[in-house]
Formats: sequence, C-alpha cells, structure tokens
Amino acid sequence: MSDADDPTVLRLDEYLAHPPARVWQALTDPDLLARWFMPGDFRLSVGHRYTMRGTAMPGTGFSGTVQAEVLAFEPERMLRLGWRDADPTSPGGADWTITWTLEPEGRGTRLFLTHEGFDPGNEMQRRARSIMDGGWRRLMTGSLAAVL
Amino acid sequence: MRREVLRLLRERGPRSVQELASCFSMARPSFSEHLRVLREAGLVSERRDGRRRLYSLEPVPLVRVRDWLDPYERFWRDKLSALRHLLDDSATADTEATGTKTTGITTTGETGAGGRPHDGGGQPEDPDEEKQ
Repeated sequence: MSDADDPTVLRLDEYLAHPPARVWQALTDPDLLARWFMPGDFRLSVGHRYTMRGTAMPGTGFSGTVQAEVLAFEPERMLRLGWRDADPTSPGGADWTITWTLEPEGRGTRLFLTHEGFDPGNEMQRRARSIMDGGWRRLMTGSLAAVL
Repeated sequence: MRREVLRLLRERGPRSVQELASCFSMARPSFSEHLRVLREAGLVSERRDGRRRLYSLEPVPLVRVRDWLDPYERFWRDKLSALRHLLDDSATADTEATGTKTTGITTTGETGAGGRPHDGGGQPEDPDEEKQ
C-alpha cells in the first residue's frame, strides 16, 4: 500500500501468460493498440506525437482525448509516454507520464504500469485520487485491516 | 503475505494448500493459520477435491474494494483486462491456425502456469488441473 500514500503516482502490475515479445507487440502495434487500448497513430519513435481518442473519465475532468508523445523506449522492456489532455481547457489538467515496464516471469510477462504526474494542487485530480485514499482508509479501519 | 495469497488466487485460479504453501518459505502450520484468517474474513473459500483442499478467491468482498478504486485505477484495470483478453484470444487463434502451440504461450491464460513461485518447487503442473 505504500504507493497509495503518494498522491502523485499510480502503480499497477499484471501477470500475462505470454512472452515479453508478444506483450511488447500489443503495446506498440497501432492496430493492436486500437483493439485493446485506444485508436491512434502511434509510431515507435522517440519524439513522435500522436493523438488517441478514448472515452472521457467520469469524475476526473479528463476529456478522453490524449495528446501523447513517445518519450523513451527499450524494446521489449520499457515504453515511456507523455500524456496531456488534448483539450487544454479541460479542468482535469492532465500532464502525465505513463511508463510500461515488462519483466519476464516464468513463461509469461509481468507488466508494470506507472502513471505519474498527478497534480495534488489540481482539485479534480486531487478529488479523484482521494476517492481511493478515503476508501482504503475506511476499509483499513474495518475488518480487512485485521486481515491484510 | 496474505495479500500475496490473494494475488496468486486471482491470477492463477483455485489452488491447493500444497501449491500455495510451496510459493512461500514458511512452516506449514503458520501458513495454514494465514489461510484460516483469510477464510474467516470471507476472502477465500475452501472446498474438497478428492484428497486435496482447494482454495479459491471469493470475489464479493473484493468487488466492494473495487468500488473504492479511483477512476484512474479503474481505467487501467479495465485496459489491462482488455489486453489480457486480446493476448489470450490471439494465442488461441494462432494455435488453431497453425495447429501448433507457440512456445511459451498458454492458450488458457487463467492458469498462468509457470510463474516464479512454482519454480524450484519441483512440482509438475497438475495434469488434471483444467478439469477442476
């Protein structure tokens, strides 16, 4: 739970029963990205800017359209993207760094996501993040706290 | 440690006590005690399968946890779930198309066989695992 204490970063990881090469392909192939993530003219090249159209995130002020940029990558290991809300007037004020990290695990891959740059000074972002904060605090004072 | 048990059950489906215990360097009685705590909290359930006791994740309390997730985390969880489905589906399609199973790709996804905790345990995958 240590990351829940840091309001500026969100970390998740997921085990996928597929080798890193396969996962990397899903992260970097525009056709595949359109199928599981969002459609956009992604190209694996540092400095490439592109737009992705997704759906607005309720409760965050995020318009859903992302102005993205490839910041860095290491094939089959790491992909770092800059994300801004394509609508500059959006109250969400998104200016984030998204990093995918791939690590082989057994016969599959553990995929780590780091979503950084949440602005504690932005009311919308603070409120969205505090939903988890308050929720966890309440849970942790209850029965789950004794268990986990 | 109990969170790790929940994670294993979430990612790999029902597991026997032996399989779970092999993932942790802990004496069996202590491990059983942790399982008991999880069971009494309603987070896992136990059922008999022949001579084995299988543990499964009880989804209900964790659904309530999900409701507390912030919108960003929910967004990413949904995307990761879509990614998992895409990969699993395409692996199945490959297998059907070529008639061969590409090395390292399991077509069932949910079993997540071969993850790190099994390694070194010397336990072969249960051949009857899929039928449970």
